[in-house]
Amino acid sequence: MSANWIAGAAVRVDADDLAQVQPALAGVSRQAWRSFALMVGTVLLIGLVLPWFSNAYWIKTLTSALALSVAAAGVAVLYGQLGLVSLCQYALLGAGGWAALRVSHGLAWPFELCVLVGGVTSCAIGMLAGLPALRMKGLYLALVTMMMAGGFQVVINVFGFPDGGAGWLGKVQGSERLLMVRPAVAPSDAAYLRYVAVWLAAVLALIELHRRTRAGRSWALIRRGDAAAIAAGVNILRYQTWAFGLAGFCAGVGGALLAGAVGQLDGRAFAASESVMMFALTVVGGVTHWAGALIAGLLLRAVPALLTDFGVNGYLAMIFFGAALLHALITAPSGVAGQLVGALAALRARLNRARHSAP
Amino acid sequence: MNLSALPALRLVAALIAVAASGAAFGQAKCGLNTGKAAAGEPIMIGAVVGKTGPDDFSASAQAAAAYFKCVNANGGINGRPVEYIVADDQWNPETAAQVASKLVKDRKVVVLAGNTSFVECGANAKMYADEGVMVIAGTGVPRECFFAKNYVPINSGPRISATIAAMYAAKTYQSKRMVCIIPNIPSLGNWGCEGAKAWGKANGVEVETIAIDPGSADATSTMLQAAAKKPDTIIMHMPKGLLVPMMAAAEQQGMGKKIHFVSSAPAYNADVPKAIGPYWNKNFAVNLEFNPLSAAGPDNKNWQAVLDQFGAKSDPRDTFSQAGYVAARLVTETLLKMDPKKIDRASVSDALRKVSDFRSDILCKPFYVGSGNRHNANNSGPMAIVDGNGFANVPGGCVTADDPELVDVRADELKLGLK
Amino acid sequence: MDELLPFLISGLGVGAVYAMSGVGLVVLYRSSGVLNFAFGALGAIGAYVAWSLLEHDWPQALAWAAAVLTSVLLSLAYGRWLAPKLAPRDPTIRSIGTLGFALVVLGFTEWTWGEQPRRLVLPTDSLAFEFALAGGDVRLTYTRALGLLLALLMMAAVALLLSRTRVGLKMRALANDRDLSALLGIRVLQVDTVAWLLSGAFAGVCGLLLANIVRLQATLLTFLVIPAFAAAIVGRLRSLPATVAGGIVIGVLEAMAIKMPGFAPFRTATPFLIALAMILMARGNERPA
Repeated sequence: MSANWIAGAAVRVDADDLAQVQPALAGVSRQAWRSFALMVGTVLLIGLVLPWFSNAYWIKTLTSALALSVAAAGVAVLYGQLGLVSLCQYALLGAGGWAALRVSHGLAWPFELCVLVGGVTSCAIGMLAGLPALRMKGLYLALVTMMMAGGFQVVINVFGFPDGGAGWLGKVQGSERLLMVRPAVAPSDAAYLRYVAVWLAAVLALIELHRRTRAGRSWALIRRGDAAAIAAGVNILRYQTWAFGLAGFCAGVGGALLAGAVGQLDGRAFAASESVMMFALTVVGGVTHWAGALIAGLLLRAVPALLTDFGVNGYLAMIFFGAALLHALITAPSGVAGQLVGALAALRARLNRARHSAP
Repeated sequence: MNLSALPALRLVAALIAVAASGAAFGQAKCGLNTGKAAAGEPIMIGAVVGKTGPDDFSASAQAAAAYFKCVNANGGINGRPVEYIVADDQWNPETAAQVASKLVKDRKVVVLAGNTSFVECGANAKMYADEGVMVIAGTGVPRECFFAKNYVPINSGPRISATIAAMYAAKTYQSKRMVCIIPNIPSLGNWGCEGAKAWGKANGVEVETIAIDPGSADATSTMLQAAAKKPDTIIMHMPKGLLVPMMAAAEQQGMGKKIHFVSSAPAYNADVPKAIGPYWNKNFAVNLEFNPLSAAGPDNKNWQAVLDQFGAKSDPRDTFSQAGYVAARLVTETLLKMDPKKIDRASVSDALRKVSDFRSDILCKPFYVGSGNRHNANNSGPMAIVDGNGFANVPGGCVTADDPELVDVRADELKLGLK
Repeated sequence: MDELLPFLISGLGVGAVYAMSGVGLVVLYRSSGVLNFAFGALGAIGAYVAWSLLEHDWPQALAWAAAVLTSVLLSLAYGRWLAPKLAPRDPTIRSIGTLGFALVVLGFTEWTWGEQPRRLVLPTDSLAFEFALAGGDVRLTYTRALGLLLALLMMAAVALLLSRTRVGLKMRALANDRDLSALLGIRVLQVDTVAWLLSGAFAGVCGLLLANIVRLQATLLTFLVIPAFAAAIVGRLRSLPATVAGGIVIGVLEAMAIKMPGFAPFRTATPFLIALAMILMARGNERPA
């Protein structure tokens, strides 16, 4: 049916219609760029303002949260745009972090370059991980990616993360483990928080640009079905693999930023369950709106930190988390971001009504 | 006997009993022992422990907290009370960095005492050095805890512990071929058995290492692999949670009859003999990092008294607790020698580095800190053997580890004028 | 080859573990379309309940029954009360819901019992089959042999249930198309109850045996569900005999891998590698057009 519509329908356009369509299109385009600017502006503003209100504990926590938001944005692209489940994002984060650490310690490259190396590494691995997706149904793909995360867990526990040594693995023997060198423009914790916010804004902008161009349209068609996509002339292999690559890039950048925040990464923190939690909390945050990735990062790091700060027993916090996850899944199908956006829209509508009905 | 005198006699008997029990526990002694509560400006002391995770290491901070409570009830630090803040790093290096930042940069602690964590040494040692704050840790585990300028563990550490266990096996069982099983955790798996190996090389004993994945579901294959190397002693070198299923697997394969089993310090815990069962009765020797929990020395008794009077009933009375008590006592006695108005981070760190003859019957030898680049002052310990549902002491007392890696520590000891 | 035989036998114990868990997972998937991440957690809490009761000198059989009852009740609670609320969502979200439940159960278990080294001893531990092999002596305890037997029995029982009983037919219909089945008059709640009850019972039995064969530690037992998924994948989430065979093969290969010089440190990755290999080789499960 959709194939017929695209290929067969002929539409007659006359001058009147064009005169109405063009300003409408311009209006929509303006609106789109406005929301784009709003997104970038909000993230940069958050990054600027947060260090003023946070003590050292919260600066570190929120830096981790923003780094994980970068990775969560990648998960949101795959699930929100294409409906594909990736349960190995945290493993890709680890792979990116590994590459960034190795390059930073071994070649002493500038931090930005290390982050890009991390991103590109995870992009490549992500594209490989996405190859099974060409033949798999939803839950099966989820299981495949979970198996990959399990494999990564074992490998990284054997290899460990680079900490200043030589050789392929870069592990130091017999002397002090080194911390990753921070970027020259942001050595302090507060400055680094702002730096990570800039990267988050850049990554979100990159994703948004994808969504608004041919890539986004191709993804929407692929989501409707292979036949629709092929009939429209979309190269499924290229665009689907590219989506996995983009998600991997987000994970790699997030991993490099996390490595820079803490200084070291530890293999024990990369269990397969972390990838599953990241997917779960990204869904809770919301996969269609950019704020969902931000909320996912906060849920992953800031909420547990809050509970720890209040001295809540770690296991009671786990119970609370599980219950909150269930509750969010049940009551908020479009995620917390969806609920917030809906609430904002309702508020705006009510204000507009009040303004219009006022004498 | 006059019936009317019975109640009075009972009362007298009760009073005598109370006095006797009081004498058995002893009154907890700490700090200035004035019996008066301290009420000055608080001194901030912090601790980072691994509580939520594969194991709960918070006993050392609990013991230190009890000691500091006792100090506060007994005149404080020359009138100033101690405010002791404990943070849980949840076995995650990221969280460890966050909570250490909170303690050092937000709460501005002057020293940390009673830390016990698997992950915080690696994550925080550099920050502690950069901020000039000393850590008198309860228990250190991975290598980074024993190779940091500002981190001073009270315990001897896994490498020393396994070395002493190997030395015991060679002496008692004339063992010439040993296998050391250790989890492949970074900075532990490639370090913990190396002391035994190096000692063995210099003494004609062959020691091989098997590194295991702590998340593995298959303990039997590991024990079979160890047995296939035909050792006469197996050195178990892992946390007690991993130890119990491996000993169970060894028992099911009947290995206790052919091979001697010894372990490093983590096995010295009240729950272990019951969990591993009667098969290992008198068949499993364990190294201790401190003197036994039931030793009769006055400081050991004081530790128990402090916990009874100022700790919670649920606080474990284990070796982590001993370590936390000793750490808190060391910090308290150092602070007491300082001018209470001049207690800040720099002066406290200075004073701590000068500690050179701290004695406690919990420790085998006098403890010191010094200005070296690393700290491993406790490098001796006794052995105990599993007996029924508990442990029995082994003759021989404290054994000093003969680990070639300790050469720089011995040099530091000479510099401080110790033997 | 001689050196590998002892490990083949010791691998059968772990293999039985994976096989049983795999069957438990596939059963629920085939009847409700949900991958149960809480399978391990439900088994773990059952095992801890059994341990506590045995510590208080309860008779063995009652302790085991209490363990299985705990798992069944918790599973029913989720299946009847929480799972229906997620019913309109897609299968992945429904499976993530069980993850939330797993965290609640795991957190409760760890908080209640704490981290003390424990061992769940079963009476079948003291008896064993002895093998004196060239590569070394090996003993296969009755518990592990029992695990193997139970895996096969469970597989046969579930296969019978699904193919020969009315309830089984209804379960298969529900897994196929829930809405259509409801329209046809199948009482959805009733069938769901049976499915979650069965899954809970399997979880309880698996939990007891797992706690004995592996380790009585809640977090480890909960996340052993991930390698168990590997066994389920070998069975394509459909075939129970293939799941059991897959689980046993995975266990045996993981044990034998200890003898491969370069691969030994990575041997815990064996379940994942085998699952990935199976998926890449499988030709089915084409994407819908």
